Amino acid sequence: MSRQRSRDYQVRIDAALNATRQQDALHRFGDAYLEARQQALADLDFEALREAIAQLKDEVGRHRQQYLDQFIELAEKAGAQVYRAADASAANDYIVELARRRGAKLAVKSKSMASEEIGLNQALRTAGVEALETDLGEWIVQLAGQRPSHMVMPAIHMFRDEVAALFGQVTGQAEPADIEHLVAVARRQLRDKFLQADMGISGANLAVAETGALALVTNEGNARLVATLPPVHVVLVGIDKLVPTLEDAARVLQLLPRSATAQALTSYVSWIRGPVPHSDGAKELHIVLLDNGRSALAEAPDCKDALRCLKCGACANVCPVYQTIGGHVFGHTYVGAIGVVLTAFFNSLEAAAELVKACIGCRACVAVCPAKIDLEEIILQLRRRIGDQEGLGLGKSLVFRRVLRNRRLFHALLRSAAHLQKPVTGGRGSIRHLPLHFSSLTEWRTLPAIADKPLRDLMPSVEGQLSAPRLRVALFAGCATDFVHPRIGLSLVAVLNRCNIAVTLPQGQSCCGIPALYSGDRQTAVELARQNVRELLADDPAAVITACPTCSMALRQHFVELLQDDADYAEPARRLAAITYDAAVFIAEQLPELPAAASRGTVTYHDSCHLKRGCGVWRQPRQLLTGAGWRLQEMERADRCCGFGGSYSFASHPEISREITKDKVNAILRSGADVVAVDCPGCLIMLRGALEKRGLPQRVAHTMELLGEALDAAGEGG
Amino acid sequence: MELLERFIVAAGRAGARVVRCLDRTALVDYIARHAGGTVLLPDFAAGRRLQLAEALRQCGCEVVTEHFRAGAAQASAGVTGANFALADTGTVVLDSTDEALRLASTLPQRHFVVLDPRKILADGLAAVGPLRALHRRQSPDFIAFITGPSRTADIERVLTIGVHGPGELHILLLEGISDDPLES
Ligand code: SF4
Ligand code: SF4
Repeated sequence: MSRQRSRDYQVRIDAALNATRQQDALHRFGDAYLEARQQALADLDFEALREAIAQLKDEVGRHRQQYLDQFIELAEKAGAQVYRAADASAANDYIVELARRRGAKLAVKSKSMASEEIGLNQALRTAGVEALETDLGEWIVQLAGQRPSHMVMPAIHMFRDEVAALFGQVTGQAEPADIEHLVAVARRQLRDKFLQADMGISGANLAVAETGALALVTNEGNARLVATLPPVHVVLVGIDKLVPTLEDAARVLQLLPRSATAQALTSYVSWIRGPVPHSDGAKELHIVLLDNGRSALAEAPDCKDALRCLKCGACANVCPVYQTIGGHVFGHTYVGAIGVVLTAFFNSLEAAAELVKACIGCRACVAVCPAKIDLEEIILQLRRRIGDQEGLGLGKSLVFRRVLRNRRLFHALLRSAAHLQKPVTGGRGSIRHLPLHFSSLTEWRTLPAIADKPLRDLMPSVEGQLSAPRLRVALFAGCATDFVHPRIGLSLVAVLNRCNIAVTLPQGQSCCGIPALYSGDRQTAVELARQNVRELLADDPAAVITACPTCSMALRQHFVELLQDDADYAEPARRLAAITYDAAVFIAEQLPELPAAASRGTVTYHDSCHLKRGCGVWRQPRQLLTGAGWRLQEMERADRCCGFGGSYSFASHPEISREITKDKVNAILRSGADVVAVDCPGCLIMLRGALEKRGLPQRVAHTMELLGEALDAAGEGG
Repeated sequence: MELLERFIVAAGRAGARVVRCLDRTALVDYIARHAGGTVLLPDFAAGRRLQLAEALRQCGCEVVTEHFRAGAAQASAGVTGANFALADTGTVVLDSTDEALRLASTLPQRHFVVLDPRKILADGLAAVGPLRALHRRQSPDFIAFITGPSRTADIERVLTIGVHGPGELHILLLEGISDDPLES
């Protein structure tokens, strides 16, 4: 079943990859959005504000019942009729029944993602009530018979010519594809409908417990008409929209529009409490409080943060996967990172299974989320659940259980791979072509060959390094440095030696376990964590240094979490975390003054996702490179993912990965630099492969390699 | 920067036209020149105080003061006051519980807002106090934050003004009307 599902999803990915016009539009949007967002946030302390929002949302999460009761009591006191809907069908039934009772034929709607979630339009249509979307984007999507591809901009996947054709069918005449004209057509066509409608249906962005009021945050003005003109107003609102006080509401309003559309505030914020006067008789206000999986989400400790979501759409805007395949494929009702999570709870884990795998793990979403949700971490947790439920697939689970957990076997296999690959490398150090069905892997980039000798065989002895070192540190090499690019490790040792620091490579260290963890095999990750903690601390080093930010995240965060309930390993894991450093950070501290070097040329720096957003490091590598004589020429969006994502690029989603890499390569070319510096062996593999395949001369190197060369040159010169 | 200056800059950025009026005559004259047709004039404190209905009629405007539902579709402008305003976003806040105020500020193409600059507060957090006071005064209620004209970017993200609400928002600053956030 899951096999068939994966195949179906692959077909949808392929179709989306062919929609190049959409990809271009989403890319341009993503870039423009980031710039506008930055300006909109310029005068605010984003970190402090999002922390405050996270806290107030968590407060509601903890005391859900109390705030709900308070809201309901006050809303009812103001004259609203409140209904608590446990699930989609309860909500639909209530609204359909209301329409029937009122003899309603036409309902005008303003944008409500909750109504998309429960399929309200369909339910009303079945009951003979026309539900007409009046938000421009929603109306376009409704006319096209589609669903929104974005939470804030529903029709972002469509173009003016398509809209003109749709509107032409409504007006019965050819409509020019001019945006201003099309907007005017919508105003004219929908105006009468507002006045005729028997019912207005909207969502709400906030439900304030303190007052019993709802707040609707909009731009077009249709929500105000939906609330005002018909005699009945139904507000469908998820219980996650509760906030305790007006101060809390004001905080949300500071970040929501800035994050959604980079506006300081939307055109309208309407605070509605109770049924307000209506000149054609009594007005009714119905509030449908929707649960539909939200309580279940609140009870899931490792996912519950997702309930803080403000539905701003920022996580989709910046997501390289969203930009590549769009919201119809990377999403369900809700799209992008939050869509992945909400689909698992509002629909089913099964419905989210493919989405969970399609995330490349770059954490761009985490960096911009105004509710401070660690979306990537939650997606990982879901991947684990799916792994537990469906299994990892026979091949993968065998590799993890039998091979990865057994260091000797794993390393022996890697060594023999170095010999077995000879026929395909032609002795070049990289693989340009693979036979038969493997060839798609090398179609667009070369693969690195396993090195003849791993770092562990090349490591100089501690005695051979320095006569009187002032410190002794351990190197955690990670698989890529150890077996694919040992040069990175050797450079790092040379640089550290320059600081009069000796380096050991504890031989019992193994894979950091991230590939297993990210694939959902937690048990293998736990065993590898234990093994590495034991081996790295055995010799009591002053510090543990990594040249791979993914390994660094493993040592500093994941090991601690994985082993927190392990009586023997919890404390050592914390100790290891406290002494683990990224190479650039450690060296910037130990070697503040680099020997003045001659000018070395122009370098552009690529921020690895895990270093910048995982470890919060981006200044030090730049500082080291410029200190060593490189002229830094920044590329556009240096911190956009390179498309690697471990097995993402090799096995699960090479086609999406290829598109993301293409963007990065273009940014590199536009920078005009001769050299690309990276601090992650994964990015290095990815970018070197892609540049080589296109026959481009730019060199990709690890910051440690460049630093080692600069120090050598300075040493020779002086 | 002073609150007033900040308000003017922010409202301008949001697409509103902010006009400093020297006196009542200048304000009435501005509305008469820009209304472009029938004016919906609901009942509000500043309007009463300035006797806007008579003044606008004297300038030759067609002014409607009741039964807005029937006439709203043809009207070209609506005039209201404001309870208070927010400097950091250029927002005017209007207690629109009265249906006439809601119709006059949502349906016509142009919305004129009369604002005493003494009513300008710093930001949304500073607005919480008066908002709470408005809530306390009456229930049910409908309070509108209005920032610039109605807008959309739903087609190819191209910003387009005036979808379902007013395409023009004129904020007319006139001193000496009232500094009470409970009245508009
Ligand atoms: S998860 Fe965060 S970024 Fe994504 S829509 Fe929700 S609040 Fe916005
Ligand atoms: S981690 Fe990256 S790929 Fe995954 S959802 Fe977030 S932005 Fe998208």
